[in-house]
Amino acid sequence: MAEVRFNIYRLNPETGGDGRFQEYKVECEKGDTVLDCLNKIKGEQDGTVTYRMSCRSAICGSCAMRICGHTRLACSTQVSGLLEIYEEITLEPLQNFPVIKDLVVDMKAYWEKIEAIMPYMVPDAGEPVPEKERLQSPEQFDTVFEVATCIRCSACVSDCTSLEADDKFLAPAALAKSFRFAGDSRDAADKERLTELVKEGGIWDCVRCYECTQVCPKDVRPAEHIIQLREKALNNQMEKSVGARHVLGFMESVGHSGQLDEGKLPMFAVKNIGAKISMVPIGIKMFLKGKLPLKHKPIPGAEDVQRIYKKLEGE
Amino acid sequence: MAMEEEVFSHDLLIVGAGLAGMRAAIAAGEGLDVAIVSKLHPVRSHSGAAQGGIAASLGNSDEEDSWETHMFDTVKGSDYLGDQDAIEMMVKDAPGVIYELEHMGCVFTRMDDGRVAQRRFGGHSKPRACFAADWTGHTILQVLYEQIMKRRVRVYEEWYMVSLIVRDNVCRGIVAYDIDQGKLCVIRAKAVLFATGGYGRAFKITSNAHANSGDGIIATYRAGIPLEDMEFVQFHPTGLWRQGILVSEGARGEGAYILNNDGERFMTNYAPEMMELAPRDLTSRAIQTEINEGRGIGGQDYVYIDLRHLGKERILERLPQIHDLAYDFTGVDCFEEPIPIQPTAHYSMGGIPCTMEGQVTCDPGNTPIKGFFAAGECSCVSVHGANRLGTNSLLEAVVFGRRAGTAASEYAKGEVLPELPDDANQPAREEIEWVLNNQGSESVMAIKDDLQTSMMENCGIFRTEEQLKSQLATISKLRERFSKVKIDDKGRRFNTDLIGALELSRLLEFSDIIVTGAVARQECRGSHYRTDHPKRDDENWLKHTLAYRTDDGPRLEYKPVTITTYQPEERKY
Amino acid sequence: MRYAFFPGCVAKGTCPELYQSTYKVAEKLGMELVELTEATCCGAGVMQAKNTELTDAYTARTFALAEEKGLDTVVTICSTCQGYMDPANKTLKEDSEHLARINSHLSDGGHQYKGGVQVKHLMWVLSEGQELENLKGKVQKNLNGLKVAPFYGCQILRPTYALGYEDPEKPSSMERIIAALGGQAVDYRCKTRCCGFPIILENEKAALRMTGRSLLDAKENDAQCVVTPCPLCHLNLDIYQKKAEKEIGAKLNMPVLHLSQLVGLALGISAKELQLPKHFVSSSQVVSAVGA
Repeated sequence: MAEVRFNIYRLNPETGGDGRFQEYKVECEKGDTVLDCLNKIKGEQDGTVTYRMSCRSAICGSCAMRICGHTRLACSTQVSGLLEIYEEITLEPLQNFPVIKDLVVDMKAYWEKIEAIMPYMVPDAGEPVPEKERLQSPEQFDTVFEVATCIRCSACVSDCTSLEADDKFLAPAALAKSFRFAGDSRDAADKERLTELVKEGGIWDCVRCYECTQVCPKDVRPAEHIIQLREKALNNQMEKSVGARHVLGFMESVGHSGQLDEGKLPMFAVKNIGAKISMVPIGIKMFLKGKLPLKHKPIPGAEDVQRIYKKLEGE
Repeated sequence: MAMEEEVFSHDLLIVGAGLAGMRAAIAAGEGLDVAIVSKLHPVRSHSGAAQGGIAASLGNSDEEDSWETHMFDTVKGSDYLGDQDAIEMMVKDAPGVIYELEHMGCVFTRMDDGRVAQRRFGGHSKPRACFAADWTGHTILQVLYEQIMKRRVRVYEEWYMVSLIVRDNVCRGIVAYDIDQGKLCVIRAKAVLFATGGYGRAFKITSNAHANSGDGIIATYRAGIPLEDMEFVQFHPTGLWRQGILVSEGARGEGAYILNNDGERFMTNYAPEMMELAPRDLTSRAIQTEINEGRGIGGQDYVYIDLRHLGKERILERLPQIHDLAYDFTGVDCFEEPIPIQPTAHYSMGGIPCTMEGQVTCDPGNTPIKGFFAAGECSCVSVHGANRLGTNSLLEAVVFGRRAGTAASEYAKGEVLPELPDDANQPAREEIEWVLNNQGSESVMAIKDDLQTSMMENCGIFRTEEQLKSQLATISKLRERFSKVKIDDKGRRFNTDLIGALELSRLLEFSDIIVTGAVARQECRGSHYRTDHPKRDDENWLKHTLAYRTDDGPRLEYKPVTITTYQPEERKY
Repeated sequence: MRYAFFPGCVAKGTCPELYQSTYKVAEKLGMELVELTEATCCGAGVMQAKNTELTDAYTARTFALAEEKGLDTVVTICSTCQGYMDPANKTLKEDSEHLARINSHLSDGGHQYKGGVQVKHLMWVLSEGQELENLKGKVQKNLNGLKVAPFYGCQILRPTYALGYEDPEKPSSMERIIAALGGQAVDYRCKTRCCGFPIILENEKAALRMTGRSLLDAKENDAQCVVTPCPLCHLNLDIYQKKAEKEIGAKLNMPVLHLSQLVGLALGISAKELQLPKHFVSSSQVVSAVGA
């Protein structure tokens, strides 16, 4: 192939200061991964460049880093593929984590969030432990297998939009891990888990931006599992949070008139009086700008929509 | 660099957080102060890379399976070097440990009736591999770490174990280096249990992680304890070409073919009955023979594994990771094309000699080192003898992790913390200071590369006395070069340059042991194939090697194999 | 070309300017939009958390309405509508059992979806082939190098397995349109990030930080305005902009246009007809820069 420019984020905790970028040029061969090149840089040019790595086969999850602005595993990212889009390769540490040194971050907060979701199976204490395996259908296995393949690389957490805006957010990895158990037919602690998950920083704080699903190197699809958790919470009548009320209000509005009553929904979803009042100025301004229709009209033929709603959702 | 000293103490200290280490910690139970030291975060351990399955004669897919059959297959697979009392113990424990994992929440691929599905694997006469698609090691590793979190076991993660403290045949603790903080610490313990993994990183083409540098094995050796059967290194038949990344035997368990340049399923010439499901030693030799005789694809050093006839649905259900690895690392879409593969250094049969309870021993008479236990790939019980069967490694890790964890905690309960010698951390301190301050011109990467390339050439699937002796000389030169090694990073925090040099020193040392054992063993047995001595020689070599550290290199002794039920026979597949 | 038109709830509710400007643009371009007036809301990913069978039924019904009119392309003007109807359509087309079951819910209303419809955002329609050439030819007020920051947001790009129209890492459809209009597309990191709208009620502070951060990024890259294919992004980027300024402690004052409005300006449609004054943040500087 050719000489490729690498721009690597450097931060030395012993000298302190802000991070900076350092440029390295690497002779790349076809089939070289980003990790291969990092190893060449470390081995041949500068032994101080610091990063984590181990298996180099996309299973240990050590080498996730931001490569050209998106989080990926260095070991399974082909340089040639990047060069189709980028002229040079920028390497930065995971975002949403404190940096220890160069491309190495402190994962403490990540694990604390995992630990917070009761990250182990809790079988029904009333059932005797069977002599052999607990039975599980192939479909029940399929339900949780996808999340069970999470390699804890943190790519999803690094690119999570909600977490970037609010560090209380549990973030996709911990939430997907919750589904690992909540979705498991052998687990009996749904209520306990979901009670925590519907609180502030939980499932309803996800913006559904699908960054996590997009960057996941193992196609774990965290966003989809967060939505499944929402479904579980609603099925367990956990309906107090704004997010849950938003869904219920939305359903009711569409099921009735065929389309969303945007004016009414926020007032229904938000119960807190202070929060309601804080929405008033924007509401008034919208009204004055002609952006808040006074009357919500059902679509023509709304009866058919109501019929389907009744059939599939009940009254 | 000045190194501060801190001393910690625990009842039971486990080094390594793969399947064996974590299973041991769980077995230790309550009422005991247990801690784990690991150079990686536990979920980064290389157990997670195991794909195809874990063996147990549950009889779910074939009611006729039994522990006796499993035992015989394992003994035969080991080329009769496995200790039969230990093998019997392992296969009898197997179903129980699978159910335990299942009860902890481990996911397993299921049969329609809801029981754990089982598939065929090389060298096993019955379908007894339990699996979660091709993610078996990963899913077990996760579930064990879940239990570690649940039990709030203290984990010193990203701490590098530098040396083992043994005096008067009593183990007293370890010296470990906190990678993040750059601090050298002594951890004192009533019992120490090593579960530090294998030594496959000595080879250029390997399925092993960079981290698999035999740290525990060498710490043991440097503490004056011999290592057993180190010459036995398993080459897995199907590693991704040039990468060595594992293509699970589960692929062949599901029916994949291996093809040469003529499109021929050449295994018919080597193992007409079991074909692609012959054991690994035999299959790797078959592939290497095809390559050596010019029948590799386009005359090159690889053949094909072909999954196409399995169909997209089956591949996605049973082998999804193989599909992704082949695509990401070689650009091959295995629905449409065969995958280029070559044998890859995979598993270390040899290691720290120990009993079925994980008690480490130090001579042919099995004299124990009190308070020192080992389990998993770093240990040599020996259940794999000269050649391990696929799916028996995860089984070994869990069975013996559990047994050793129980035995070590029982031992610790009856002991007080042993006295530490005054100079407990001296060797470790000196080694680290030497690496940091050495003024040389040699690079870690260059020496490592030369070591791995030469080991692959001279101590690989086929070996001769001439090659092995020249390799001993090469290693000696490389060690000389290592004495002039220089690293760039002199810093204290997260110095991976330093760790890389420490690891290389261990690679060089155990490579020497592998080759020394291989020169001496003038026969073919399991993974050890001497073209200049092309027969198995039970009369002279049905025995375990023990390698002791001396100033003049490894000194070899031998100890007998335990044979209980099955007398050695010719192996045919 | 005749297209089935699915405006979505927001264009008929809080963003009427989008509805009107889309019609004006279509008229100029000679596109015939046949509105599916009986179609229901797509569920917006909100209802999907409760009942996907229901949202799939609603979506299939919408497609059936298009088929009944003899139309094979449903045009959307909302990323969220696109982001949920497109993957639902893929499943309906690929899984015949699923389609049959969903149709069984529709039959009492006299509808059946045959699986012959594609659903396409106006941005995609205009950004390629004939329509793009057509658009280029009809520009009356060249944007004159106006620096436009395209804000794609999320639902029209991710996840690839569900949408797959263009690479979320390097989308280019809006850039092609901006170039066709004579504008200059600003490249900035946040163009594919979330605007914050989905949690504006749940966690307003976090949502405002997302809004503010994206707009600030556009501003720091010298954008004169932001343009978006999604009315929900528009709500946050425009209506909540003042609040976002307070949250991030920076002045933004960034005009945010619907894609239809930007196209409309270049086609010579007046700011009034495009209802630009309905925005909270004034677009007057953009209008004068273009000379509209």
